[in-house]
Amino acid sequence: MIDPLYLEGVIKILFVFVLISAALIISTRSLASVLNTYTVQSFLLAAVSFLLYLMEGKSELLLLAGLTLASKVLLIPHFINRIEEKIKIRRDLDFTYLEPTTSLLLSIGLILLSYAFLSRVFGDLALSRLFFFGAVIGLSLTLMGMLVMFSRRKVITKALGYLSMENGVLMFGIFVTELPFILEVLIIIDLIILVLLTSILAVGLDSSIEEYRKKIYKLQIWNGGDAL
Amino acid sequence: MNTSFLLFGLLNPVFALMAAPLYMALIRKIKAHAQGRKGPGLFQAYYDLRKLMHKETIYSPVSSGIMRFTPYLNLTALLACSLFVPLVFVPEPAGGFGNVIVFLYLLALERFFTALCGLDAGSAFGGMGSSRSMSLAAVIEPSMVVAFAALAFVLKSLNLHEIFALTAGSLLPVSPTLVLVSISLFIILIVETGRIPVDNPATHLELTMINEAMVLEQSGKNLALLELAHALKQLLLMGVLINTILPVGLSTEAEAGKIAVSALLFLLKAGVLALVIGLFESSLAKMRLFRLPAFYMMAFFFSALTILIEVFA
Repeated sequence: MIDPLYLEGVIKILFVFVLISAALIISTRSLASVLNTYTVQSFLLAAVSFLLYLMEGKSELLLLAGLTLASKVLLIPHFINRIEEKIKIRRDLDFTYLEPTTSLLLSIGLILLSYAFLSRVFGDLALSRLFFFGAVIGLSLTLMGMLVMFSRRKVITKALGYLSMENGVLMFGIFVTELPFILEVLIIIDLIILVLLTSILAVGLDSSIEEYRKKIYKLQIWNGGDAL
Repeated sequence: MNTSFLLFGLLNPVFALMAAPLYMALIRKIKAHAQGRKGPGLFQAYYDLRKLMHKETIYSPVSSGIMRFTPYLNLTALLACSLFVPLVFVPEPAGGFGNVIVFLYLLALERFFTALCGLDAGSAFGGMGSSRSMSLAAVIEPSMVVAFAALAFVLKSLNLHEIFALTAGSLLPVSPTLVLVSISLFIILIVETGRIPVDNPATHLELTMINEAMVLEQSGKNLALLELAHALKQLLLMGVLINTILPVGLSTEAEAGKIAVSALLFLLKAGVLALVIGLFESSLAKMRLFRLPAFYMMAFFFSALTILIEVFA
């Protein structure tokens, strides 16, 4: 059996890296590296959930780690990667309302806000430091994901912001509320459908329906088009 | 004043001064290799300094005394700084040596006088460099203060000697948050030494240059002193970063054998860091001037995050 204190230390280091990845998703300009950062972030989450399983021994956590690994580290990035190859956009340079610099400053504020908020909510509950820390990181990750959706312009990066927001919810769920496992599965199915829909919408939002159909055929994103 | 500190005061500045040009040359060499060139030898920086030392010093007719004493002042400030960053071993604290705030002010003094000396020669280029350097300093200095504050907060001391006595010898960073501070320190290292993506140290021709523009009018011995001061600054900031993230082998006792091991290990670790810097520089393009604050803000963000995490966990 591994020493729980040691595991706690490793989990805290992973928290730090999760926050770094959130900051990178806010400020990076190349689409490929935003996607890579998201993949790494999901992997970190899977690792956190696995380490927590080693500490607590709840089998749901192990399942969750496996599910996250399969869906968010392999499947979803694979889909998005395919879209990125087809739409031939490499960078997302447009920011609306907020420049990355302001977003980063704002996200410090958001982290502080979630800390202040959660310390009031959980003040009476005897939550251990690690779990409280995890909850703060989860909530701030959600808010930072929202910031990405808010400030990015391209559909794909908006979708990645949404996905990173969901990562935050998952993290919050792991450490505080314990969502039923079936809900987690449903959320992940939702996410996959969202990514599929985005893959269709991302290439065609700027065109009319006729052009849109041509575009989809041309890029071969949706091969089931023969039936139309 | 104890004997350990006296020994440190003799060894550390000399070691820093001797090793500093080596890493300038090493980074240049690594960049050359990344571009498929062979690059100058590792001792080229020393040869350049010797050559400059023997050359005539020419002053612009409009220049004042600032131009004449700045090189000496800069080198003195940096030599004083070298008493603050333990490279060969960590001495017992003595007097005010090692105070983070004094360290930051000495660096600011060097920056201020370099900017003044850029203006002093009366050329348009120097003035442009100074104005850029100062406006960027207004953004990087808060980040730098916060980064060092984070370091002081994590290790609960304002004295660099005490801070590094705590980290010395451990294989891994003593606290996970030190990883975050190191990112900030790395960005500060890049900015302070005027490297890509902030500035290009390899050219005198670009209109966007900052540091090179300020020393453009310097010649002969003065230029040699300024370059030595610049190299020393780089080595000291590298030292701070190395002692924070990878302090393995740094001795806290003033014994001959241990000092030799510390110094050798430091040379090795600095070599690895030089490799990282060289590759980092080669893999990026220079940023537009107005995008730089975003880069500095990363340093600020990670340092502020460090303090927050220390409070939470």
